[in-house]
Amino acid sequence: MKKVIKTNFKKRPNTHGLFYKGIFYKNLVVIFLLLSFHTSFSQSNKEINGVVLGEDGSPIVGCSVMLKGSSKGVTSDSQGKFRIEVSNAKSVLQVSYVGYQIQELAVGQRTELTVTLKKENSTLSDVVVVGYGTQKKSSLTSAISTIKGQDMASQPVADLSNSLGGRATGIIFTQGSGEPGYDGSNILIRGIGTTGNTQPLVIVDGIPRNFTQLDPNTVASVTILKDAAAVAPYGLGGANGVILITTKKGKIGTPTLTYNSYVGWQNPTVQTKFVNAYQYATLFNAADDNLGAPHAYSDYALQKYKDHSAPDLYPDHNVLKELENTNTLLTSHNLDLSGGTEKIKYFAGLGFLSQDGLWGPTNYKRYNLTSNVEADATKTTKVNISINGRVEDRHFPGVSAGSIFYQAFRTPPNAPLTFSNGLPGSYIGRSAAGNISESGYTQTTGYTLLNQISIEQQLPFIKGLSVKALASYDYNPFNATNPTDPTAPIISFSRTWLTPIYFYAYDSATNTYPQVGNDGPAKPQYSEEYLQSQAFTYQGYINYHNSFGKSDLTALIVLEARNTKTSIFGAGRVNYNIGVPELNNGSANSTDISNYGYSLETKQKSAVYRLAYSYNGKYFVEASGRYDGNYYFAPGHRFGFFPAFSAGWRLSEEKFIKDNASWITNLKIRGSVGQSGALAGSAFQYLSSYNVFGNASVLNYTSTQGLMESSQANPNITWERAKKKDIGLDADLWDGLLTAEFDYFYEKRTDMLFAPTVTVPSEYGIGLSQVNSGEMSNHGFEVTLGTSHKFSNDLQAGLNVNYTFASNKLLQVFETAATYGNPNRRITGRPLNTQFGYKALGYYTSADFDANGNLLPGEPVQPWGTVHPGDIKYSDVSGPNGKPDGQITPDDIVPIGHPSTPEIIYGISPSISYKGFDLTLLFQGAGNRDFYEGVYAFDNSSSATIDALDYWTPNNLKATYPRITTQPTTNNTQVSSWWIRNGSYFRLKTGQLAYTIPTSVMRNLHMHSVRIYLSGQNILTWSHIKNFDPEVSSSTGQYYPQQKVITVGLSANF
Amino acid sequence: MNPKNLKNSAFCMLIFVMLSTIFSCKKSLDQSLSITPHNSVTDLSVWSSTSTADVFLNSIYGYLPDGNNWYDPFDNWSDNSICGFSWVLSRTQAQQSTQTPSTLAWWGGWTTGYPYDWSSNYNYIRACNVFITKVAASSLDTGYKRERIAEVRFLRAYFYQNLWMAYGGVPIITVPLDATSQGDSIFHARNTWAETYQFITTELAAAAEDLPINAAESGRATKGAALTLKGWVELFDHQYTASAATNMEVVNMGVYSLFPDYGGLFMPANNVNSEGIFYREYIPNVLGGRADSFDGPTFTAGGSETSWGGVNPTQELVDDYDMDNGKTISDPTSGYNPQKPYVNREPRFYQSIVYDGSYWYNDTIYTRQGIGSPNEIDLSDHNDATQTGYYQRKGLNDKITLGADNWNNGTSGQNYYYFRYADVLLNYAEAQNEAVGPDGSVYNAVNQIRERAQLPDLTPGLSQDAMRTAIRRERRVELAFEGKRYWDLIRWGIAGTNLNRQLHGIAITSTNGVLNYAPVTVPGGDRKFDASKNILFPIPQSAIDQNKNLTQNPGY
Repeated sequence: MKKVIKTNFKKRPNTHGLFYKGIFYKNLVVIFLLLSFHTSFSQSNKEINGVVLGEDGSPIVGCSVMLKGSSKGVTSDSQGKFRIEVSNAKSVLQVSYVGYQIQELAVGQRTELTVTLKKENSTLSDVVVVGYGTQKKSSLTSAISTIKGQDMASQPVADLSNSLGGRATGIIFTQGSGEPGYDGSNILIRGIGTTGNTQPLVIVDGIPRNFTQLDPNTVASVTILKDAAAVAPYGLGGANGVILITTKKGKIGTPTLTYNSYVGWQNPTVQTKFVNAYQYATLFNAADDNLGAPHAYSDYALQKYKDHSAPDLYPDHNVLKELENTNTLLTSHNLDLSGGTEKIKYFAGLGFLSQDGLWGPTNYKRYNLTSNVEADATKTTKVNISINGRVEDRHFPGVSAGSIFYQAFRTPPNAPLTFSNGLPGSYIGRSAAGNISESGYTQTTGYTLLNQISIEQQLPFIKGLSVKALASYDYNPFNATNPTDPTAPIISFSRTWLTPIYFYAYDSATNTYPQVGNDGPAKPQYSEEYLQSQAFTYQGYINYHNSFGKSDLTALIVLEARNTKTSIFGAGRVNYNIGVPELNNGSANSTDISNYGYSLETKQKSAVYRLAYSYNGKYFVEASGRYDGNYYFAPGHRFGFFPAFSAGWRLSEEKFIKDNASWITNLKIRGSVGQSGALAGSAFQYLSSYNVFGNASVLNYTSTQGLMESSQANPNITWERAKKKDIGLDADLWDGLLTAEFDYFYEKRTDMLFAPTVTVPSEYGIGLSQVNSGEMSNHGFEVTLGTSHKFSNDLQAGLNVNYTFASNKLLQVFETAATYGNPNRRITGRPLNTQFGYKALGYYTSADFDANGNLLPGEPVQPWGTVHPGDIKYSDVSGPNGKPDGQITPDDIVPIGHPSTPEIIYGISPSISYKGFDLTLLFQGAGNRDFYEGVYAFDNSSSATIDALDYWTPNNLKATYPRITTQPTTNNTQVSSWWIRNGSYFRLKTGQLAYTIPTSVMRNLHMHSVRIYLSGQNILTWSHIKNFDPEVSSSTGQYYPQQKVITVGLSANF
Repeated sequence: MNPKNLKNSAFCMLIFVMLSTIFSCKKSLDQSLSITPHNSVTDLSVWSSTSTADVFLNSIYGYLPDGNNWYDPFDNWSDNSICGFSWVLSRTQAQQSTQTPSTLAWWGGWTTGYPYDWSSNYNYIRACNVFITKVAASSLDTGYKRERIAEVRFLRAYFYQNLWMAYGGVPIITVPLDATSQGDSIFHARNTWAETYQFITTELAAAAEDLPINAAESGRATKGAALTLKGWVELFDHQYTASAATNMEVVNMGVYSLFPDYGGLFMPANNVNSEGIFYREYIPNVLGGRADSFDGPTFTAGGSETSWGGVNPTQELVDDYDMDNGKTISDPTSGYNPQKPYVNREPRFYQSIVYDGSYWYNDTIYTRQGIGSPNEIDLSDHNDATQTGYYQRKGLNDKITLGADNWNNGTSGQNYYYFRYADVLLNYAEAQNEAVGPDGSVYNAVNQIRERAQLPDLTPGLSQDAMRTAIRRERRVELAFEGKRYWDLIRWGIAGTNLNRQLHGIAITSTNGVLNYAPVTVPGGDRKFDASKNILFPIPQSAIDQNKNLTQNPGY
């Protein structure tokens, strides 16, 4: 074993010996153990000198040249040259390089060889990962988009879900938070098609798994399955689209070691600005004037706020800015080893990522280990073993980010955030600074282990027939409340230690800072939670593929069984007298001790089929589907059938095009139709039962358990059905100078679950179980255009554009007479989550009032208290009889804005490379979305943003905000069009400027290639919303903001 | 067959054996997906043992009003107090009487709102109906059935009483509704005021028959609780003779008496006492109360905010506390000095109100102006400090850690009383005075209250009107901050006056060391009440929309 390693590396320079010893022996020796069953190599007696060139004649550096059937291999040098010893004339050399087709050459009698490698990037020969298999891209009849792994790996993001947006059509996404460990995007395939769960199914290497925390460097490709034909193999899981992640596998070639690393600096994309103390006090006094109340701040106080002469008595804090760190670090290191021979291929990766949060206690660390071994156990048997594990550590303050931002937003600048000696102060009994530094911590550790083994056996007695068995065991904890959430953070074990948050006051008489109180618990408390979920998946494949003359037939049958078991257990104690966070150290008083636990189980069984027939590479038909059974439903209602059909026609293969339009390299039209399903609601709604809960009431000064009727059963409850249609066009013109894809899609979702609350009186007293009755449609189109041109050997440029539009409409929902009967308020027929509210006309002016301050006759009456000039005036659109009635009532509610989910997502990615430099940009935008701004000055004694200074006065009639009041008035905070903000945006999402060091330099270092780069994420943003990021996810703005990242990185190949 | 093929065939076999074990015939396939949920119980097992049935009943007790967790207690809807912060319902809705069928809301507490929400009450009533129906049909022990069903009939009557006071006559539903088997009969019309009254009192009378005098476990319904509620409902409906009789029945049970220490009655140390008739119990940290840190003085030692200051008593309430000589402050002989207003007041004043210069939680609370006190009366509506110059003291415990720990974890443990013996005495006195006049039994009842408060007896020989005035003032003071005042104003027909005027606080300034006291109008004190319709609340529009048999209350 040792000999092998030495052989492989004996040519390495000594300067790196230490490095290899350290990293290799310790961490990757495991991989070589796996390889040990194949370690023969033969004696050599003949030397071959060769050179590897590209199609353009330029040398290919670092190319792997292997002696076939052995583990012996060398790599080409900076001039593409290599030297290898072979045993005899029958020896075959395998020459391979990333991005190029593998070449095999019989040595024969030659001693000098020139090998020309062909690029692999001809899109037609690309193989695309599809459900339960792969397909040649040229024979696809379904709507599928793909993203290359390298596009993901080059982005400085922790969470993979943030790498998809703008890269391919069909992905509608919103990133709602920048908090480390929870900053993933919500991904929707082709928008929203249901009122139920909208999450796509995520499949990693064939098994439903979470993908967001995989090491991006180990991802080979991402495939988005969009239409019926593509998702049909996933039956009940397919209606919301499917994301297929394929991890990297080894390739034939000498061992290649790759080291990737970057370090980045993060800052909020937009730093929300607040008023300073003087502005705050002036604004408050103005509000008091409107109330007719005495000023809260004296002239003396105003002066003090202005001149900052008594900072502890009259503070002036920039609260958010003082709480947040700037340029927080994001670092990543990754080491991959890959290679292989005819008989065995391997890929192994080790990754580390560390992401700091806006404040010290918040950070995220991830450790990934991947290993994938593919071996030909016999000539007809292929075995694949893969182990993919990771550990995630999340660390947060004891107080949640939401609470920290809530308190930061409400702490006015003149509150003692901290005193001049650094001690935290408080505002309304809560300490914003203490929340971060003194609240204790929450620490969650996630362990994930994804194991799978598959054995594929060719059956030589029927040509083209093979069978495969796959078993996977995942230790894959999930979000128990939403098991299908692909972005659910993985938590196996969490510890929460909450401590009193002491805060201080300034006593001017004695010039001391006594501790005056505490936020948080009076005494520390501690809790632990364990979550464990195991998933077992078994798949049996029968695969048949054969050609008969011009016909090509593929048949696939897969039987699958899957079950999961989840256990949750938690325990905690309060009132710690000993400040060491262990359960055993907690109070022994029985009322201070608590625990809980429960378990969940799921089962699913399915059969998948796919039949594909093509004739002459021109005509394609395919039928696929799934017979799917799920434990959710009542006996007899558990199995459903979800078929799809598709067809394609490659016009470019027809004579009339080949002869007349040779510039058309490829042209295909395709279409699909089919059904898929979605689990909705929750399991067991077919059962009538009582739920058990704790702490129901106190009787005899003892806490009791309770039983509660669950909602009334619906024995007929079933899955949602989606009928999908898609028509698409793929074109490749002028030999790849222009590629284009176009898809139009339409989906109708039926059997959506609704609680039929409006069909029983509200005196009914209990919820009815949901019924399958909702209907919704979703349609849209997608366009991809790409071009790339090589101007010279040194200069190459490309441009890719993609555009997705998806718009939905509710066709049938349970709706009350009050909204259904009013065409303005009717939800049916409108997009889901359309925003409704009053139509604001502007502000009242003094002309609307008489001398006594009463509204003039004829002005509609607004029922939310007395109004004054500067208050928002609403339109009397309608009344009980459908006509304006002189009163503002719910009858006047109208649609006021788009949903917050964008209808349009697009990406524009230009790239240019010149000599060793390359620049790749991704501009990304979203349109047709609205943000409802509920950020009101002084709301519940909160602070005010800088925008609030633009408030209505008789001299500022066109102000953005109504007249200022000490608490926003009920009238002005009615949901209305006044607060709708255009949420569309345009971003420089990713940019990378890289330089690949010339090979002549690298040769001396005995490295294949080194690439250094400057890269960024969310670099520039253009938006209508100025004081928040456009993807702001809380109407009050109180959330952890999205981050901008600038990184420098290095990628080295050995 | 050569060995290789044999191997392949064997492999094939293996796979198909594996698959066929997974997929056998259809029925067993279906069955193989069966999972029994781990966190629920079926109908069969709930009603087959008394211990499981009791677990169901426990949850109904949990539905009773959670009065120690309100940050905007219901007294803020009356003229007793104003909330110290402006975003709550009592300030946004009740103050201007802006509730409409579409906007009517009842939140005001940490976990639950006020107990007057339409659909919530019907959820509770359904739970009662399920219990009664299922237990009656079960084969459980008859003794168990009798007592527990009586408890639930009492609880159901309590929920109906809340609906009845708020909305008038409501649909009386006594069986669990079932849309599949009952068809259109699930859409009940409203019963009349009188029918609802009749239903509640009849149910309570029946429950009282079966309920024990002393419950085996405290906190459960008793005969006394059922009779007290019945007497209250009769009083609310002006059935004075009936009410006097019912309340006298409670008196004659002889199991209740006034607890000697009025202030201490509301503290956790005295949770077990002879005065409480029906109340909610609390366990700190588990199911604890938070009222202390919601409703008491806002700022304490060092200026830290340890309470939200949710209850700011009005000057109108403060003025109704007698002098310690038993005379009202308006009596010229009482010795009341408007410039020394807190001197020589009756004990309940000091036990109920935090005022300028009084002591609370290791601190002297100053609400006066001009000395930089954080508790200075907040006339500019600037923060949570008192709007009126007063804070609530009664029922709040300053011997626990106030502030965030109490908010987050509910660390207080005192009872919240729905009915105590003082209610019975006052209910009796009022009913008897109205039905018969100020006879000796009326004096006796009121004087018991006054004696506990160390006040002299009422002057003998009061007219019926004078007695009425005395009883009403006594009632306001004795039951302050117990959620009763709003309903008293409604049933006395004076809400249109008392809730339709400006309420006041006290502005205290110091000139050369001499304090000057001046009543002032305060933010949130501008009350509106339209007596032509606001006597009843509107039925929620959502309920009307879902049941065309419901009619809206007049004026909405």
